[in-house]
Amino acid sequence: MKEVEIIVGRRSIREVNEEIKAAVLSGQSVYVRETLSRHNLGVGLPASAKVRFEGSVGYYCGGLNNGAILEIERNAGWGTGEGMSDGHITINGYAGMATGASMLGGTIHIKGDSGPRCGVAMKGGTIIVEGKLGYQSGFMSHAGRIIALGGAGVSCADALWAGEVWVVGAIESLGVDTKIVEPQPEEVDSVESQLSQYGLEDSSREWQKIVSGERLWYFESREASAWLMI
Amino acid sequence: MCGIAGRILREYGQVGADLVELMGAQSHRGADSTGFAIYSDPCSVGYKVRLMGFNRKNLNVDLDEFRLTLKEHDSDLLEEPLIYETEEAHYSVRMLIREPRHLDKWIMDADQIADRIAVQSVGKSLEIIKDTGDALAVADKHQLRTIRGTHGLGHARLATESDVLPDASHPFWARPFPDVAIVHNGQITNYYTWRDRLESVGYRFLTENDSELIAVWISDQMKRGLNQKQALQKSIVEIDGVFTYMISDLNGIGFAKDRFAMKPLVTVEENNELTAATEEQAVRCVLPDALDVINYDGPSMVRIWPVNTQHLKAA
Repeated sequence: MKEVEIIVGRRSIREVNEEIKAAVLSGQSVYVRETLSRHNLGVGLPASAKVRFEGSVGYYCGGLNNGAILEIERNAGWGTGEGMSDGHITINGYAGMATGASMLGGTIHIKGDSGPRCGVAMKGGTIIVEGKLGYQSGFMSHAGRIIALGGAGVSCADALWAGEVWVVGAIESLGVDTKIVEPQPEEVDSVESQLSQYGLEDSSREWQKIVSGERLWYFESREASAWLMI
Repeated sequence: MCGIAGRILREYGQVGADLVELMGAQSHRGADSTGFAIYSDPCSVGYKVRLMGFNRKNLNVDLDEFRLTLKEHDSDLLEEPLIYETEEAHYSVRMLIREPRHLDKWIMDADQIADRIAVQSVGKSLEIIKDTGDALAVADKHQLRTIRGTHGLGHARLATESDVLPDASHPFWARPFPDVAIVHNGQITNYYTWRDRLESVGYRFLTENDSELIAVWISDQMKRGLNQKQALQKSIVEIDGVFTYMISDLNGIGFAKDRFAMKPLVTVEENNELTAATEEQAVRCVLPDALDVINYDGPSMVRIWPVNTQHLKAA
């Protein structure tokens, strides 16, 4: 498939995004160059899109993604893939705060560390972090799965509801109303199967599966002391 | 949502122009007002003073009265003041003064007329320049790009906790500690508690802005014996709210971030220089070829970046 280059520089982001969208709708892949960490690049792209971003991007890249395959060569700013419903985003470096916030589906693959509150309020989909999962990641996640291969920071999975956070390595501290449970073999197989798509499978890993403690929020807790945890 | 920036040059240079670039790229974070704290060549005698007057029709009368407060404290102007005025009611003044007998006592007297003409900064090197409007408007009005120095701070304000007024803009001077300034992105929720405590031991605040408190709070902690790093670390525990702030003095720039990690800071730290901003895209306006940045995204972070004082002395 032919790849077209689109230069960002100091141009209007609306104009750049319209060019990206027009290119992918005509069947072309896109290489977005001179990004200069600008915000809102590649927002709301359709399923046919395959877009690479040179260097680092600013806030909200790939937000509301609806099936596009995006790759960011270096770092991504805050809110990357926020609200995405389908598709795939690869971040080769560090991912800023609230990556995958409120996402509904699709996959975000972070090769470096994640910033704080990765997957905050996510409602579906998968986030894979090869490095360390940032402070309070998985905060209030409603559904979906976060997989971290390099440990996790403070307040991990704080107040999550029905999401899952899987961690290999040290967890600096667990968040409010969470617990580590022994995963079922078929669940481990499911996680390793997801990782195998990236060549990351390793059957010798010691997984820590974090789920809700179910003492707060939507669990009709009548235990007053539970609320003192907050 | 405000935008902040910091810049340290490895040698004396165009720090004003760089800060204008950094703040121009962050105007969307708050165009209510913009301000700069710049450390230019230190004066060998006396202090540099920046004033803001609120009614230019009374400029001469108010300046005369201000000058009287200097004379009452064995001080006076060392050169003709530079006056920056437009068609707006307020105006700014830059002056060089002989060292008052007691700086803190003079400031206390000078503040008696702060409703008409208010001291914005005092320092051997520090000058705080701030006004309503976005970065480019303020830079043009005050000829910011021509100001050379070693380091400085910038701030774009989206007013949330107090009025949009020229004097409520950042940076704030740590009254009465010379050469200390702050820029802050966030909200302090125990502001009145700390303001009451600091006022009860003699400190004075000219605005209702919560950021003014942090500069004085840190300086007071250092006066009580903490080093700068200890004071920054203590602020994370004692000051409630969400914040990322940068505090500057003659020796460099310090930074602290709250326990909840809500406000960003991105830096490039290469070649004995610092370029810091709320947003990476602002940093890349100054350093488009920088390969990588450092994201200070985590909770409870503290960092101090020293300035090369050899160059400061040589300037």
